[in-house]
Amino acid sequence: MKILGVAILLLALTIAILPQYSTCASDGKYLTLANGRTIPMKCSWTARAEIVVGAPLAAVGAMMVFSRRKESKRNLAVMGITLGALAILLPTKIIGVCAMPTNSCVTLLKPSMLGLGSVVIGASLIGLVVSQLSKEKQP
Amino acid sequence: MNVITLALKNIRGSSFRSLIIFLCVMGVAGFFLSTTLIIRGAEHSLDAGLERLGADIVVVPAGAESKIETALLMGKPTQIWMPKEKAAEVIGVPGVAQVSAQVYLNSLYDAPCCSVSEMFLVIFDPETDFTIRPWLEKELGGDLNLNDVIGGSYVFTPPGEKYIRLYGHHLTLRGNLQATGTGLDQTMFMTMETAQAMAMTSRTQAEQRLEIDPDLISAVMVQVLPETDAHKVTLQILLDVLGVTPIESPKLFGTYRDQMTGLLWGFLAVLGIGWGLSVALIGLVFSMAVNERRREVSVLRALGASRGFVLQSLLAEVGLLALGASALGISIGAVVIYLLRDFIATSMEIPFLFPSLASFMTLFIGGVALALATVTLAALIPALRASREEPALAMRE
Repeated sequence: MKILGVAILLLALTIAILPQYSTCASDGKYLTLANGRTIPMKCSWTARAEIVVGAPLAAVGAMMVFSRRKESKRNLAVMGITLGALAILLPTKIIGVCAMPTNSCVTLLKPSMLGLGSVVIGASLIGLVVSQLSKEKQP
Repeated sequence: MNVITLALKNIRGSSFRSLIIFLCVMGVAGFFLSTTLIIRGAEHSLDAGLERLGADIVVVPAGAESKIETALLMGKPTQIWMPKEKAAEVIGVPGVAQVSAQVYLNSLYDAPCCSVSEMFLVIFDPETDFTIRPWLEKELGGDLNLNDVIGGSYVFTPPGEKYIRLYGHHLTLRGNLQATGTGLDQTMFMTMETAQAMAMTSRTQAEQRLEIDPDLISAVMVQVLPETDAHKVTLQILLDVLGVTPIESPKLFGTYRDQMTGLLWGFLAVLGIGWGLSVALIGLVFSMAVNERRREVSVLRALGASRGFVLQSLLAEVGLLALGASALGISIGAVVIYLLRDFIATSMEIPFLFPSLASFMTLFIGGVALALATVTLAALIPALRASREEPALAMRE
């Protein structure tokens, strides 16, 4: 469970940090409005939302390392699954990424969130099974 | 207790050593598959691109060979021109069955229509074309109407809109061609009629006028007669038609193929060194582990286990580790490459198309078998030494 916790912590940091460097804005691409103003494309909002997912996920990972109670481990694993799913849904369904297939948000941000989110879900599922099988440690 | 159960117990019993071997094999197997997949993917992409072109020979203006390769391979628009009459001259060459002229244009820079800064536009002649038409007939059941276009897999109608707006002209995307991983994926195909209409609209609607000279073409696609040597026809075109360079289809992306071969050898060298070091490390780790377990092995022998059983159990232990680690490493490598395939192609500036399932399965099985064979080989000497030792001597030490 400790190894899983550390793994989820590292994955959470990657989920929070990687998107910040793989948006259209980080490539210098912005939407230009009719009045000449430039605004970030929607992938920038996805990247920001991934911080909101990554931060509690990092906390879940850290708590998994120190958690001893069977029930806490189970609840943390469920939280991990939910946040992993959110990490995937943000660039695919909830906010999305830009339409241009060659932009880095499509080539890097979206697939990496799909991969990392899936690994988080997988690790949390393993955590859930392990927590159910393990005997509770006395504090 | 059989050999596998004993091996599993030994793996569980020495988890740190097993983890080292597992990670070592997993890393090397994952790296091996990733590099092979990238090279194979690039080759597969080039082959798919050539198949899409459907021509045996591509005739371009003299000196424009590298420009056409870059345009077709990376989708970077090019402006190359030769007189229209060259197509008629090419068809007169013995051995030529069919020719079709194409005109290459590009979209305006950073136009909102396009998936790339400048989109490559290919204008084909529906009367003579043999590259797009078969696909059109099969998928759409007929020709393109005025203002209809076909796009590569990357071309799309902007979300919320009905048309693609190019040079101020509205175009209807009738369909997308299958991905090739080359520049053809970000190429738009249209008829000369549509291109002329677009040029007309551009005079009043676009930031920049589109000029199409009806007397100029960019390339001629050539199909040779069945059972005719394409190489001989290529040489004949070179002799008979002045000011052009014919390129045989298989040689079309020659420069890139050469680069890829160089890359492949580089990867293989790194892979070989990495593999050798891993074998040495695994051999060393296993040798140390076997040395520590001499008494344990001797007890087994004293209890009646044969030399063969001891050898088998030790080899089964590394075999199981190699099997699991290589399968996991290869799977992780494949998933990462699959998910990041577009990023790899863009950042490495190579065409890339994920290999077919059959080709991938061959790589997977090959990789696992190689890992299994190498790890077993690395562990063979320490395992043989341990199995041959006299129990009484080992126990006394």
